[in-house]
Amino acid sequence: MLWKNTINELLKIATKIRSYIGIGALTLLIIIVLFAMIADGKSYIGFVTASFEQTLSFNGKIINGNLIAFIIMQMLIVHVPLLISLVTGDLLSGEEAAGTIRMLATKPISRTGIVLSKWIAATIYTLIMTVWLGFLSLFVAKWMFGTGDLIVLNSNGLLIIPEADLAWRFGLALLIAFLALWTVATLSLAFSAFAKNSVGPIVSTMSVIILFTIIGTLDVSVFDSIKPYMFTTHMAAWRSVFEDPYPTSAIWESVLILVAHIAVLLGITLFRFNKKDITS
Amino acid sequence: MKSVLLFVFILSGGFGFGQTAEEILKGVIDKIDLVEDYQADVQIKAAIPIIKVPIAKAKIYFKQKDKFKVESKGIAILPKQGMSDLTGFLSNEKKYSAVLGESKTINEHKTRLISILPTDENSEIILAKVYISTSEDLIYRTILTTKSSGTVSIDYEYNLNKKYGLPNKMTFTVDIKKFKMPKSVASDIRNNDKQKKYKDNEKYSNPVVGPSHRF
Repeated sequence: MLWKNTINELLKIATKIRSYIGIGALTLLIIIVLFAMIADGKSYIGFVTASFEQTLSFNGKIINGNLIAFIIMQMLIVHVPLLISLVTGDLLSGEEAAGTIRMLATKPISRTGIVLSKWIAATIYTLIMTVWLGFLSLFVAKWMFGTGDLIVLNSNGLLIIPEADLAWRFGLALLIAFLALWTVATLSLAFSAFAKNSVGPIVSTMSVIILFTIIGTLDVSVFDSIKPYMFTTHMAAWRSVFEDPYPTSAIWESVLILVAHIAVLLGITLFRFNKKDITS
Repeated sequence: MKSVLLFVFILSGGFGFGQTAEEILKGVIDKIDLVEDYQADVQIKAAIPIIKVPIAKAKIYFKQKDKFKVESKGIAILPKQGMSDLTGFLSNEKKYSAVLGESKTINEHKTRLISILPTDENSEIILAKVYISTSEDLIYRTILTTKSSGTVSIDYEYNLNKKYGLPNKMTFTVDIKKFKMPKSVASDIRNNDKQKKYKDNEKYSNPVVGPSHRF
């Protein structure tokens, strides 16, 4: 029954126009970035190498598909959560707003089953968005710009990663990015269990992300103790995959914290929906 | 055996002291001019404090007098100046004046310092200090002071193509200016460490190893 209900939920997602807004916006954004890189990629990358150009010359194919994919991921990983929550924030509250929640509850499936099927559907939607992001940024960018070594700029300086060492890094980065987006999807589903319309959960999700991100970037010691536990701190963990040496323990820590957030938020959603009065 | 070696040293030293700066340079230029053009497969290893870069393989193309091109599939970092600037500069004898300097032993090779000053006020090279082995007509060290890139020091090691004056290994040492990190790209939410600060004019070395030259 859980599986059947999950398929129903996926069909519901597929029939809603808002589900395609995210994919469409993502596609359009990536096309714009690709066009911008074709038009003026050299000057964009110039600000990375500018500090060295008086003394050093960078030879080889600097602007390549791998670099474009990295830039796209860096740009969009901040905005994709909004596109995800547009769909996942509507999953429970949308039923309430449309008045279909009671009919849904009459089905031979428990309330826990309803929440889990919606959560699995949200997970699959998030996965589709991540795979689409990966496909456009990696495969299309590589097709257009070719392949090559990757220049990464981080707080310690420049790191050049050989092309042969990149496939697994991008794979793992997308996996961690998916985990971060999955956390956002579960958060908006949790808000959705408390709301009666879909606007509230979407705005609340974005507000939490913005608030936590600002706290995370504030260099004030009073927040130092909570920063490591905020999920937004770990949303950029995918970037650590492109470090050398590869910080295994830090990445595992991020993965565990994100998984813990997912578990707690799902627990809150289940608790709230099971206790929710849907009769009035 | 000892006496033979001593004889060789004295003999080579004797040649050096008998020659003028122009004559020593001519010997080097003649050797360089033996090769019209070449291509070389090189390995580039960069030791730069703020850049982590793997060893890059590249192809270098050179054509007399100063046409120089680097082709690399991966990203290769080279000093902006010093690869071919000197040969181009030395080829026009009217554009500089040379002064003979001290003797110095570099990697067991006895060399004479020749300081070269450009006569053209717009010359990119302000001063070139060239350490030449007078017995071999080979450059073993160059210290180039340029307008735009500061000072570049190059050490040469020779092996297979010694007779053409083509080095087997070149080690560049350059000054790098303080690295300014663009904050927009370096913002790393996870990283709470303070940004590393680098000293002004930190030096780095960049050995370029060319295992084979093709003419």
